[in-house]
Amino acid sequence: MEKKIVVIPCSGIGKAYGEIGRQAVYELIEDLRPGIVTTTCLARLMIDDPDAKALINDNPVITVDGCAKDCARKNVEFTGKKVDRALRVIEVFKENRDLKAQGILKLGEDGLKLVHILARKLNEEIAGLMRKEP
Amino acid sequence: MSDDFLEVTYDKFVFRVKTGYFFHPEECWAAREGNLVRVGVTDFLQKVVGDLVFLELPETGKEIARDGYAGTMETIKTTVDLFCPVSGRIEEIHSGLIDNPQPINSDPYGEGWLFKVAADDWAGDKKNLMDAQTYFPKMEAKIKEEIAKK
Amino acid sequence: MLQELKQEKVGIIPCNGEELCEGTLTRFACRKVLDTLRPHETVTICLPLFIAGDAGERNFAKTFPTITVDGCSKRCSQVTTEKLSGKPRYAVVVSELLKERGIEVPPSKRTLTEKDQAAIDLVAEDIAGKVDAILRKG
Repeated sequence: MEKKIVVIPCSGIGKAYGEIGRQAVYELIEDLRPGIVTTTCLARLMIDDPDAKALINDNPVITVDGCAKDCARKNVEFTGKKVDRALRVIEVFKENRDLKAQGILKLGEDGLKLVHILARKLNEEIAGLMRKEP
Repeated sequence: MSDDFLEVTYDKFVFRVKTGYFFHPEECWAAREGNLVRVGVTDFLQKVVGDLVFLELPETGKEIARDGYAGTMETIKTTVDLFCPVSGRIEEIHSGLIDNPQPINSDPYGEGWLFKVAADDWAGDKKNLMDAQTYFPKMEAKIKEEIAKK
Repeated sequence: MLQELKQEKVGIIPCNGEELCEGTLTRFACRKVLDTLRPHETVTICLPLFIAGDAGERNFAKTFPTITVDGCSKRCSQVTTEKLSGKPRYAVVVSELLKERGIEVPPSKRTLTEKDQAAIDLVAEDIAGKVDAILRKG
């Protein structure tokens, strides 16, 4: 099976950061790195879904957490897999202070700008990982 | 249950008030520490504003009045002004929080302290603050207001 | 001093599944219930935070009734909730609900548009009805 890069957002539903991370992952999968980046449902790891576990065990994993609670990173590491990179949306917001998301799911123009910035940042991380992979 | 805190649970959130501290209506607290007064924000405030991202604190050496402006905190939702509960001179600021304000959310009464003041008149200023037992029902009233806004 | 003020509330636990548009639907439908349909009667439980061990999420799910909302028949939210706190009062599976009611699955998992509103409304109303049933029975 061809190597993929697995990028897993926390998809937290309580804060805008969760949706920003989720949308950035979709942007990677559909626009920036089609065929190279994939994702899996975080909760599938918790029900010991064999396909989800095989995917993360066989490929590099980047987690995208909304905030410092680091749920995606922790949930992946509960399975025994150490993530290759762990990013937080809140850190991207710190670098782009004026871009405040409008709502939790409907992000608005500024929230979508944050999505694009995060997706590009993730793309750079992926480039770094791909240079390392055999 | 803890002797160190008064607590109330609303939905999935436990709101805590540290016993032995003194509370200002603008949601900051003061605690005597030797010759200084340590200042921070309440658990209620940090829960309402959300994840702290930016923090501005007063400069050390600055003279500050009771109720005076003492900086700002910013989250993805909002920006709030900080106030000083006592008059005096800023002796120390918790500068580590400026790059990483997360302890304000995770430990507002401990590691989330903001600055320390050499107070001009702690005994006098304390009279204008609330002890934990007096502040607690006021906090509950504010919680109910927040829920009603939903 | 610990005071517990028992509010009648129901915890809603969406799966948030990223792989299917039904997962995206769980998010939109649940937020509609939380923000518009039953704002004073419901609380969201963030599934990743719940799994990661957050005391607030876990204690709420142990104390109050819950409704899990899964995108597909893997039922990740239901299985996880049962494992970590207890059986939910209701378990909604969006793919089954849409099929039952003859509503098309939205085409995109990335965005839901005005055209997908019928699907969001259907799921949200179903959850709201279950919230009402729980609160009537106690």
